[in-house]
Amino acid sequence: MDPVTDNKGFRISRAELDKWVASLIESATQVIAPVERRGVRAFRVLDSAQELCLADGKTQWSPKEFLFPRTESVFSYETLDGELKLSDPPPTSNDRVILGVRPCDASGLACTDAVLGPDAIYAQRRARTVIVALTCPVAEPECFCASVGGAPDGTDGSDVQLVPLADAFLVRSLTPRGEALIAAGSKKWKAATDKDWAAAKAQGERVAHDMRGTQVARDWAKSLEARFESPAWRGLSRSCVGCSICTYVCPSCTCFNVEDEGSAGCGSRCRSWDSCSYGLFTLHASGHNPRPDQASRYRQRVLHKFSYYPEAHGGKNMCVGCGRCAKHCPVGLDIHEAVHAVMSKEASHAG
Amino acid sequence: MQADAPTAGEKSVKSGNGAPTNAMKPRLMRIVSAHDETPDVRTLRLQHADGSPLHAWKPGQFGHYTAFGAGEAVFTIANAPTRSENLECSFRAIGKVTFDLRNLKPGQTIGFRGPYGNHFECEAWKGRDVVFIGGGIGMVALRAPLQWVLDNRKDYGDIVILNGARRVADLCYKAEMPQWASLPGVRVVRTVDPGGQEPGWDGEVGLLPQVFEKLGLATGKRTVVTCGPPVMLHYLFLSLAKLGYPPAEVVTTLENKMKCGLGLCGRCNVGRHFVCVDGPVFTWAQLQALPKDF
Repeated sequence: MDPVTDNKGFRISRAELDKWVASLIESATQVIAPVERRGVRAFRVLDSAQELCLADGKTQWSPKEFLFPRTESVFSYETLDGELKLSDPPPTSNDRVILGVRPCDASGLACTDAVLGPDAIYAQRRARTVIVALTCPVAEPECFCASVGGAPDGTDGSDVQLVPLADAFLVRSLTPRGEALIAAGSKKWKAATDKDWAAAKAQGERVAHDMRGTQVARDWAKSLEARFESPAWRGLSRSCVGCSICTYVCPSCTCFNVEDEGSAGCGSRCRSWDSCSYGLFTLHASGHNPRPDQASRYRQRVLHKFSYYPEAHGGKNMCVGCGRCAKHCPVGLDIHEAVHAVMSKEASHAG
Repeated sequence: MQADAPTAGEKSVKSGNGAPTNAMKPRLMRIVSAHDETPDVRTLRLQHADGSPLHAWKPGQFGHYTAFGAGEAVFTIANAPTRSENLECSFRAIGKVTFDLRNLKPGQTIGFRGPYGNHFECEAWKGRDVVFIGGGIGMVALRAPLQWVLDNRKDYGDIVILNGARRVADLCYKAEMPQWASLPGVRVVRTVDPGGQEPGWDGEVGLLPQVFEKLGLATGKRTVVTCGPPVMLHYLFLSLAKLGYPPAEVVTTLENKMKCGLGLCGRCNVGRHFVCVDGPVFTWAQLQALPKDF
């Protein structure tokens, strides 16, 4: 996740960037990028490079749904000549570029890769998708990537990095797939200078410095799990209404539900985003619920992001610090503050 | 659960020629026969619909069973691989999927995914006495390791089968119990909760942990294999502690809600372990080391 230190790459104008994007669209590559419509900025499939919005700040939702859709069929079934026949969903037919992905969201995609990578449907889609990240020239009020292991110019989960400077963009490939993607445009591009990269580095450091939040130390994963029985969870979650918006806006949440749509003879099996904040999530058929209250559910969310996942993935937090959950929470719960509260001495009195 | 088992999240992304197949898509199975065990527990015997041989499985592994249009439900494979003519499952009709499964007739088709999860280490119990303690529908999870032990009878010491339910009518595998009890060195004790007895009942009346304590089984070289509702296990573990059973010699299964069986859907975890991949079989010693999230 450290910023790349070699200074290869290019310096291009917005016009050159648009031209490259236009050439990708012309080559039948699906370009998915931030588009602003009626005040809402979200990732959409571009019809033209003019729609591309690379302004400061992040999209309302991460681009996760283009790899892990909100709802999708995992197979369909129908009855033919009295026999049930099962069919896989059609594969993704386009090569795809997701462009303008903030480093936090790209890091979130690295998490979804780690979890959903073994799934055939996800893997097929992922194999045809290249990620072009866009570093952050400003920190938004909710941002805290720098305190959870990320950086405003981080490269985790990215194939190509775009750095917006005052009068130009720097472009560099980070992977062979990224190299291949920019090959078409880069023949005509001007090489970036050491001075350009020094400006990029300074921008990253300034944004990280401006960002809220104190460090979540890497060795907190074990300490947090050891606080499983802490009374702090009850105090922290008391205002949680269980709406699960934190999950739906999260770039790294991957939990899903599976349900059938249709009849016994014809239909499809669908998986949909689900949330550990819902009581039904873990409810047994018998009525027993291992997580019977909002406190145990909130604890699961925090520990999954900051303890269980990091312990299984070399210490990398599953929370990427985008801050959307805190921004959208109707009662102002903030996962970053919650981690610090549980780790602090006062936490034992919070309940 | 193996202490060093990788968690599901550690699987790497496969691509190119190593592309994974769609593990969410079930195989079609035909119901060979079906019968009721209790007023709400039914057993199905299954074969692959295309006639191909069944996959190998081990006692304690589970599957996802589809009633098309209703969805999937998870239960154990109820027979041992030593009796692998069919794949059997027993389930309680309690929700949308299981009601539909119960209403299906022999010859009709269901979906099956599996076998999933770890298994009972029956081989490790060789030379030991084994007591099976099954409460209610929990008896279903014990049938496969029990059959395994009975089919390899000479490898094991004394066998005690302690089976309890709320009411006489709710005792599973009533038809098979006499046959099990007739085998040498096998003792079957059945009990119902107070108030659950009926005229002619010749078994015990009392809660399983109390009846177990009354049996006065020496700990010695005895392995305890148990499954039942959380409240039963809670009190059974208290009894086992009182009697001095080593936690490593007590084996049970966790039955957390699951949707995928592959360590992906995220709901069956206990701490960083997924019951579907690292379980469902855990020793009491392993449970003691886990967060109380089950």
